Amino acid sequence: MTKKETILLKASVAIAALSAVAPVSNAMHIMEGYLPAGYCIAWGAICLPFLIAGFISLKNKIRENRRNMTLIAMAGAFIFVISSLKIPSVTGSCSHMTGTGLGAILLGPAAVSVLGIIVLVFQAVLLAHGGLTTLGANTFSMAVAGPLVSFGLYKLCGKLKVNRRVSVFLAAFLGDLFTYCVTSIQLALAYPSEAGGVVASVLKFLGVFAPTQLPLAVIEGILTVVIVIGLEAYAAPELKSIGFLKQKEAR
Amino acid sequence: MILIDKLCYRSGLRYVNATEKFVYAVLSLVFCVVSGSVAVAVPVFLINGILTVGKGKIPLSRYIRLLQIPAAFLILGTAAILINISEVPMDAFAFPIGKWYITGSVESVIRVCRLCITALSAVSCLYFLSLNTTMTDILGVLRKLHLPDLLIELMMLIYRFIFLLLETASAITTAQESRLGNRDYRTRIRSFGAMASALFVQALKRSNMLYDAMESRCYDGTIRVLPQEQPARKKEIIWIAVYEILLLLITIWSIIE
Repeated sequence: MTKKETILLKASVAIAALSAVAPVSNAMHIMEGYLPAGYCIAWGAICLPFLIAGFISLKNKIRENRRNMTLIAMAGAFIFVISSLKIPSVTGSCSHMTGTGLGAILLGPAAVSVLGIIVLVFQAVLLAHGGLTTLGANTFSMAVAGPLVSFGLYKLCGKLKVNRRVSVFLAAFLGDLFTYCVTSIQLALAYPSEAGGVVASVLKFLGVFAPTQLPLAVIEGILTVVIVIGLEAYAAPELKSIGFLKQKEAR
Repeated sequence: MILIDKLCYRSGLRYVNATEKFVYAVLSLVFCVVSGSVAVAVPVFLINGILTVGKGKIPLSRYIRLLQIPAAFLILGTAAILINISEVPMDAFAFPIGKWYITGSVESVIRVCRLCITALSAVSCLYFLSLNTTMTDILGVLRKLHLPDLLIELMMLIYRFIFLLLETASAITTAQESRLGNRDYRTRIRSFGAMASALFVQALKRSNMLYDAMESRCYDGTIRVLPQEQPARKKEIIWIAVYEILLLLITIWSIIE
């Protein structure tokens, strides 16, 4: 073997090893049993007020018009399906969207908190993404923190008269990034580093998950924009009915 | 469509009382996580495996492949806990890079091993539940736990809709692929977006149709279903109780230690 061939061989082995290590790059669900009991309970308790607020808002929506019941359920199933489908990715590994950014833009953060926890339960039981003990932590990062940032940014961009497509991209992209940061912080709080404490640990978790999560956030942003463009083209009346488009904005 | 869902419908333990299975899985899970000790995790892992593969007749190869799903997270997360970058080398291993060391301590190696075993064993509890209990049965148990009706009904409807939407999505994707919809990366992204927006429109239409159908059958705000209850067997209850008390004792012992 010439020197060039050896280098090529080594490189290919390295690439193969890398892709074997990360065969599935999910949105960052903390796996079952990975957090100590105290943290599981604490994160669950932190989620409670958001969940109760979401629950009350859903209840009011359904009392307003009973038809909203099936509509909300469909939206929940839509978030689950979007997050369980393989999305086109550059590296060929199979990755998934979180879908909660899209949900927050379309339905508002209150509805997404309750739908989010239901979707997370289904993801844990049916797909083994995430878990029951880590449900509280995952709910906080994916169904509360991420959607709140997405929704806030989307509204802010609306106020600042930013182009809608740009604002949708920013909302989904930064919402996803924020979810990833919150998850890293959650893991770091439970497992502080021996050299440097929690802060060093946050950096370590951010660094380790960055190669899968950064491209994923960009793709999530792009896909959300493409989906919203599609919706505006085909589904203006439906978007009006759920209050996403104002009457005069719809074509 | 969803592997775990398909497997649980032909599990050998499917017709065992759902509350029993739920209590067994959740209690084992709780003891596993609370104790965080190998003494609980190893027996729980083994017994769940024996029950799911032996009694539930889930193929062993499938079970092992399912256990690998969280592997990516486990490896990355563990690496982040294990590896430190510091100026002082620690006792387990240390690779110098210039002035700094990639290093770790013996204590953290032990901690990480324990964490991995606990996590895998917790996953096996989750699989015991999801591979042997159908979602409708789990919802029945949640109803007995007095979760709000609205939540249960939402879950029931969402569970039904998931399969409707997955079917629609896969049909659309097949149609797109047969028309060169995945020719290159750009088209793939565009196809996915088009599929998702078409799916959303379909979802809204279906939800309206479903509501009309429900209302024409006297829907008044609550969905009533007849649960299919399997009686709990005394022998099974006693076994579960003995097992969980043993786990509880080991947990208390490991906390005192």
